[in-house]
Amino acid sequence: MTFKFQYQDVVRRPNPMATINPLKRGSGKVVSLQDRVDTLEKSASWNKSMKLWQEQNKKLDLSRMPKVKMFKLRYLVIDEDIQRSLDDKHCAVKIANVNVFDPALLQTAQCILTSDNKLISIDGQHTVSTIAGLIAAGMVNGVDDWREFEFPIQYIETDNLAFARRAFSLLNGKGKKKQSAYMQLRNSVFIVRIDKDLSDDDDVSVEKLVSIAEKNECFPIESFSGLNKYPGTFGNIATFKSCNEKEVELATSWHNEYFHYESLHVSTFFIFRDIHRAFNSAKLPVTETLQQELAGLVQTLFGDLGQYQESVTRAHRLWTVKRYGYQANWDDDAYACALLQLYKKFGGQERVAPNIIDRFDDIIDFFDEDILSLAD
Amino acid sequence: MYYLYLIENLNGRAGFGITGNPKSRNRDYVAGCGDIVDFKYLYGGSSAHVKKIENVIKNQYVDNVWKIDGRPLEWLNNDVSMDQLKDYVDTLITERHYRVELVTNDYNFTKDELDI
Repeated sequence: MTFKFQYQDVVRRPNPMATINPLKRGSGKVVSLQDRVDTLEKSASWNKSMKLWQEQNKKLDLSRMPKVKMFKLRYLVIDEDIQRSLDDKHCAVKIANVNVFDPALLQTAQCILTSDNKLISIDGQHTVSTIAGLIAAGMVNGVDDWREFEFPIQYIETDNLAFARRAFSLLNGKGKKKQSAYMQLRNSVFIVRIDKDLSDDDDVSVEKLVSIAEKNECFPIESFSGLNKYPGTFGNIATFKSCNEKEVELATSWHNEYFHYESLHVSTFFIFRDIHRAFNSAKLPVTETLQQELAGLVQTLFGDLGQYQESVTRAHRLWTVKRYGYQANWDDDAYACALLQLYKKFGGQERVAPNIIDRFDDIIDFFDEDILSLAD
Repeated sequence: MYYLYLIENLNGRAGFGITGNPKSRNRDYVAGCGDIVDFKYLYGGSSAHVKKIENVIKNQYVDNVWKIDGRPLEWLNNDVSMDQLKDYVDTLITERHYRVELVTNDYNFTKDELDI
């Protein structure tokens, strides 16, 4: 039996992402705060919000604005009903990490100042505890007693502990716009590309992965970005970062060779990460023939990996119901397993790592009949 | 067999959709349109490829999909003609080797052209 599906070339067109890729270089743009004010004034959401302020006659009460002052650390107390218990490992491994600690990155502690002059911490206990601990350990030249050490505190005068509790939630995520995985990746890339700073191994390694992907005309983008209509784009940064350089090279070069007209489906990373690891253990090469025949199979049976995902998740659902009697959660390992089982079913002759296809016994029997019938 | 249909409403607006049962789907349009409306072009083929083509249309025409209250419909804005949409679909099928072909023109549920 010879392999059934020959990959058929698809016309390659210039990819606009090659020029508009936001990671290629920084915008170099610095804008004034006026620019941001102008943006808000043109925003429908902002104007709607301002209308509500007017209707409710609400004004910004300047007396409630937080103040910043240097306080001796001995005045600071931590209300354990408001803040969490101290995470000693966080202080030791994250903040006081000997390789990365930099006092310039410390942030002010957040407190409330009550009418009986209690300075109650609502955020930043790990920072002030670390500073006090460093002084106590003799790590701060010229300072012997942490109690007398002055640290910048941002505070609000109030006796309302409910306010303090709400503030703690806000400062620790609830209500804060979180940095997306893409923004973190972008920071790492710009630190290396624009700032030429190679001091952080993680930044350097992320930039290297991005460079490999870009060489193969694949481009990380923000999830749900308008750029996702362009070929080679992908938004699942976590999976991308879970691959090593060889796996990213394999996945993105395969995509660029055979599916250069599509955005890059996240399963590409799962499939080639698993194939690379399993074949490596079995000391088998991932041959050009195998790559081309897998592309032919995907193209002929599914059109692309997006449609393959739809089919394989359905097959996995049916397979778990048959095998276990209930619908188990999706398992990303099924991507590569089912693909290679299909490859063998349709006559693929290249050697594949046995441990990758043994995982979900005969899952391919649960693919649609219009796909399986092509094997007859 | 799965189907992709290109539909034109009575004012000439182009739309599209996919179905496993074109006869039933075409009948469903009567209530919304207040008349029998033809599937101007009906394509059939592999379900995965038909679904893929629909996704590509939605992706490609993302800025030209007709939206009501921000909700995208399977109808296109007035400035995209049926001829443009058909050309796009035909080019996709040819260039990307999808196992989908034109089955019939001007199909509606009163016609018995399809054995379905």
